[in-house]
Amino acid sequence: MRPTRLTLPTAMVLMAVSRNYRYGFDISDATGLPSGTVYPVLRRLEEAGLLRSRWEAVETARSEQRPPRRYYTVTGSGTQAVRDAIERYPTLDRAFERPAPSPSPRPA
Amino acid sequence: MKQLAPYAEPSDVRDPPTHAAPTAPPGSVIVAACGTLVPSDRQAEWQAEWLGELAYAWSVRQLGHDTPASARVALWLRALGALPDAIWFRRHYGGDSMLSQDLRYALRTLVRWPGFSAVVILTLALGIGANAAIFSIVNAVLLRPLPYASPDRLVFVFGTPTDGDSAKVGRSSSYPDFADIRARSRSFSQLAAFSVRQTTVTGKQFEPGIVSGAPVTANLFPMLGVSPLLGRSFSAEEDKPGAAPVVIVSNEFWQQRLGTNPNVIGSSISVNGTPATIVGVMRPRFTFPGATAVWYPAGEPNNPQARGQHSFTILGRLAPGVTPGTAGREVAGIAKQLEAENPGDNAKRGARVQSMTEAIVGDVRPQLFVLLGSVVLVLLIVCVNVANLFLARAAARTREVAVRTALGAGSRRLARQFLTESFVVTAIGSVLGLFVAYWGSKLLVSKAPTSIPRASEIGIDGNVLLFLLGLSLVTSVIFGVLPALQMSRAMPIASLREGGRGLRGGMARRGLRQALVVSEVALAVVLVVGASLLVKSFWKMQRVDPGFAPDRMLVVQIQLPQSRYGGYGDGDRVRAFYADLYRRVASRPEVQSVAVAMQHPLAPGWTSSFTIEGREPPPSGQEPESSIRPVMPNYFRAVGAKLLRGREIQESDGVGQPGVVVINEAFARLHFPNEDPIGRRINRGSWWKGMPASYEIVGVVADERFNGPRAPADPATYFSLAQFTFNDNWLLVRTKTDAQAFVPTLRRIVWSMDRDLPLENVQTMNELLGDSVADSRFSTVLLSLFAVVALLLAAIGIYGVLAFTVAQRTSEIGIRMALGAQRSSVLRLVVGNGLMLAVIGVAIGAAIALVATRFLQRLVFGVSTTDPGVFAFVAIVLTAVAATAAALPALRASRVDPIEALRSE
Repeated sequence: MRPTRLTLPTAMVLMAVSRNYRYGFDISDATGLPSGTVYPVLRRLEEAGLLRSRWEAVETARSEQRPPRRYYTVTGSGTQAVRDAIERYPTLDRAFERPAPSPSPRPA
Repeated sequence: MKQLAPYAEPSDVRDPPTHAAPTAPPGSVIVAACGTLVPSDRQAEWQAEWLGELAYAWSVRQLGHDTPASARVALWLRALGALPDAIWFRRHYGGDSMLSQDLRYALRTLVRWPGFSAVVILTLALGIGANAAIFSIVNAVLLRPLPYASPDRLVFVFGTPTDGDSAKVGRSSSYPDFADIRARSRSFSQLAAFSVRQTTVTGKQFEPGIVSGAPVTANLFPMLGVSPLLGRSFSAEEDKPGAAPVVIVSNEFWQQRLGTNPNVIGSSISVNGTPATIVGVMRPRFTFPGATAVWYPAGEPNNPQARGQHSFTILGRLAPGVTPGTAGREVAGIAKQLEAENPGDNAKRGARVQSMTEAIVGDVRPQLFVLLGSVVLVLLIVCVNVANLFLARAAARTREVAVRTALGAGSRRLARQFLTESFVVTAIGSVLGLFVAYWGSKLLVSKAPTSIPRASEIGIDGNVLLFLLGLSLVTSVIFGVLPALQMSRAMPIASLREGGRGLRGGMARRGLRQALVVSEVALAVVLVVGASLLVKSFWKMQRVDPGFAPDRMLVVQIQLPQSRYGGYGDGDRVRAFYADLYRRVASRPEVQSVAVAMQHPLAPGWTSSFTIEGREPPPSGQEPESSIRPVMPNYFRAVGAKLLRGREIQESDGVGQPGVVVINEAFARLHFPNEDPIGRRINRGSWWKGMPASYEIVGVVADERFNGPRAPADPATYFSLAQFTFNDNWLLVRTKTDAQAFVPTLRRIVWSMDRDLPLENVQTMNELLGDSVADSRFSTVLLSLFAVVALLLAAIGIYGVLAFTVAQRTSEIGIRMALGAQRSSVLRLVVGNGLMLAVIGVAIGAAIALVATRFLQRLVFGVSTTDPGVFAFVAIVLTAVAATAAALPALRASRVDPIEALRSE
């Protein structure tokens, strides 16, 4: 696990995941960041152990006739990082007042 | 190497879940392309994640309110994010990061040599952009299918003379012929007819105007597979005689004259004096036939002369399984039956089939291919030049390469580095080239002659982009491989030891560079020869005596509607109007002379048959034809046509007076080769009441070049307009000073006589004259432009090689001078070197040009494509350019200080 710098985009992505925006494109929609920014941040956060990723259940995807998506959740140490992020960017929290639109994914 | 954090749960397998995607969502191509950057052990997983998101987003958007197009664009944009992500992966987990290393190195090199980079990128941008611009025209005009349903099944049925004498039988047919062919043929699933007529339109909302109108059969639009934007097409009932008049207007007409009124359907405008209901508005840019403004049902004519009025063009759709050959044989057979049934009107009238595409674009194909060929030559020269620049730089980088080789870079690695550099340069050049192409094609379209069909369709589309991509790939490979090859042969140890001079390597490189310059000169010769031929032919065309004086002359057509003025056998009001107009205009102080004629001196007009009295009449249907050109008195004096014998048409040649005619030289040559035509009579039958049948030849006039400067004039007959009265005539006004300044006065005069007369498009005769050579001017200007660019590039190439050689040989020159060589002999040495390259290049180029200029055969006029004068001129020009380009390096060499040169050893 390596430390990661808490830049504003990183904090936004982390907050978004903690607010249940779990998929890459949803995070991009919620934060307004381009997908080309969101993904490298997700990679870094996962590498730092603050997030972890899983594949959504194959059956869900198959019933909708599409490939499965990958989703991200906040780990234990990630929860602490979210608190740090709110401390550092106090207004950040307000951007995510509404809950995530997508249903909670079931693990495969 | 860093490792990805381990997955916490065993269920999270590294292999992505498999599935069968129904269709790939938009943007998957980008993901697949970017995936190649991701290290191979993670590629599948990485792609699965991106494709999963794209597929989900696509399925959601398809349910949503987005239009498919905007959803597609949104996904494409989103997929672009895969590139930074892939690069991130590569940088963090990628073992082989050489590509990005190469890229960064290439960019650094670009910045380190800013002048070099700017020159290379700009020449490439111009070369690639010019190619793409010309290609965009070729693409729109020649390659893209016509914008109709199954355009390859659409064919024209043209009239064709069975004896090969095309003057007598034109491409158009009569309506009864069309009806018979439609009834008897089996080769067509549909057969339609149309015509093009100058049509007077009036309405409450707009100024009266003369527009291009097209009487069409009702099935024309369904056959083409086009439907109006608003309203409907014509119904079969509306095609029958006696049906209520209806009209479909063009999109431009709707916008410009009807104020883009959405409720225009059902309203009424007057077409040729008859009120007609608007039933449809066509789609934008629908241009068939030509730039038609109004279409109306042709209606079957029921007069007995209809068989002889060949004013309709027949267009058909081939029935399934029928080839154009089969259809052609069938219509030829039907034409033979029709000739037997109507021996007078259909004498020698055959029929043939030609594909619609061929008929529309066939004539401009050679012109466009010549342009495309020349612009490709320009690009080749650009490539050679850039390769030369790269070689020169490679020489300067010998030490750098030697160091890198010594540090363990293999030759393939170095080659890759050089290719990456050339690729980066071309990529930037191509992006700039895209802008050049965009603006270039806009400029070309605005300058293109109206004879280029489908000009409205020209633009940058997928084909053009693909062409541009292919061009830049080929380009970058061409000039990237050469230095790479050179480099891989360089001898690192030797060049390190020799203090960077690399004598042997330098010699070999110089040989290659000289070969490049020779080929550049050769290519330039081909282009300059082509351009010079066109310029010379254009110059000759301009010098053709048009047979009249075009200066300070205004030209405008005035059509008197039959509904108010009568005419054709009831011509009193028409004659009175033109006589009055003539008097009013001629009385203005700024007017020098006035002429009124049914055809202006550059209008080919139409022909009609006649017989020469006192000679055995030819069999029916084989009478000679002449151009019909009725004029008011003093016409020849006013337009400046030279009367060779006899007299002008005069005031006394009026109604009820004996018929008179003035013939042109072509007529006299053809029909009276060895006798005096004055006093002989021709008979052309009386068309309407009060018109003489027999006309005495009273004068012979020099040919007016009414078929354009490239073609000789046909036999022409100038009748007295009073004895042969038409409602539509041209007013030709020669002013004492500026012609254009008289236009408002002219309008005021005409409108003071009749407020409802359309008076558009008042042109000067010089404008008309310019239009008649616009085609040639277009290719001439473009090809000259290319030739100048080629000359410049060749000069730069010669200069580059010689400057480089001089720099390389400084010490040698120093030794020579130390040993007693004169400055003049050094000068000769270098200039001689340059001239030698030029002479070899000119010889090779001239040989190629001898063959290549054959493609210009159809474009030149009055010049042989192997014109020795032109070839000599080009040889001199190129040698002079080469000498000039060599002068600067030669001077530099002659100023070499032997002491300095030897000290640097």
